[in-house]
Amino acid sequence: MSDHPDLNLLIALKVHGVLIDPNTETQIVVLRDEKNSEVLPIWVGTAEGTSIRLALEEVVPPRPMSHDLIYSFGEHLGFSISSVIITEVKSNTYYASIQLSKNGFEKTVDSRPSDAIALALRTKSPIYVTQEVLEKRGGENLDAWLAKLDPKSFGQSETEAS
Amino acid sequence: MLNQMNVRGLLFDPYNNAYIVILRDEHNSDMLPIWVGKSEASAISFALERIAPPRPMTHDLMKTILDSMDAKIISIVLTDLKENTYFAKIHLLYGDSEFSIDSRPSDAIAVALRTDAPIFATAEVLHKQSSEELERWLENLKPEDFGKFEG
Repeated sequence: MSDHPDLNLLIALKVHGVLIDPNTETQIVVLRDEKNSEVLPIWVGTAEGTSIRLALEEVVPPRPMSHDLIYSFGEHLGFSISSVIITEVKSNTYYASIQLSKNGFEKTVDSRPSDAIALALRTKSPIYVTQEVLEKRGGENLDAWLAKLDPKSFGQSETEAS
Repeated sequence: MLNQMNVRGLLFDPYNNAYIVILRDEHNSDMLPIWVGKSEASAISFALERIAPPRPMTHDLMKTILDSMDAKIISIVLTDLKENTYFAKIHLLYGDSEFSIDSRPSDAIAVALRTDAPIFATAEVLHKQSSEELERWLENLKPEDFGKFEG
């Protein structure tokens, strides 16, 4: 094990859905832990949000998207994504890493959470968050913020993604 | 037969609310306009202007992943044009083997610009891109539609 974080300190998350934030034109990926006790909303760009939603709904777009191309690189070159981890949050910006695996050796690359999540959904890889990120997430406004959202804005992708 | 192409710029197409990547061959005799979406256009424009965005974009991640696997992009090729849709392939060297991977032209170009890989178009694609069609839409474009990339 190199710089691979200790899996015991990580919490597995599922993508609960993608919301459109009507105020900022951005999209919000809502992640929840398995017990549904924690929620982690991450703001992403339109293209990334769309890519995540397509993967959640298992829609195959007419042309492969950028994340499908990365998936295709893995298929051809024989590497896989063993997990993605949301590693840090600083000034409301989340950071993530992707664990790549090839013939038993692992490499870790830094990523935006949006790219990491879009890839994890395509490769059926687990998504983790560190305990520290969950604690720092700034939960004070979260409940109020979630309460304000119209359930309709959850759209079709409001599913328990498995 | 392959022709090497250079990315000459990006135009905004106000009629389709999309962007057009302009490719020209080295003799400036052939030109390919490829319509791309907004996020792909911005991925290409960051690379053209050599701006490092505050966060790495999806195509930067693509390069990082390929680098971490020691895979190298040899070239990208625009292989076909069917019903106004372009098709491309990314040629990769990995270990001792070469791989050809299907891609949208926008992704292929965005990643080629980041890895300094050459961009080619087949003679067939250039042939299919009828110059008549080109002139028709060029007439519709106003000079101010041309961004600062048009060199």
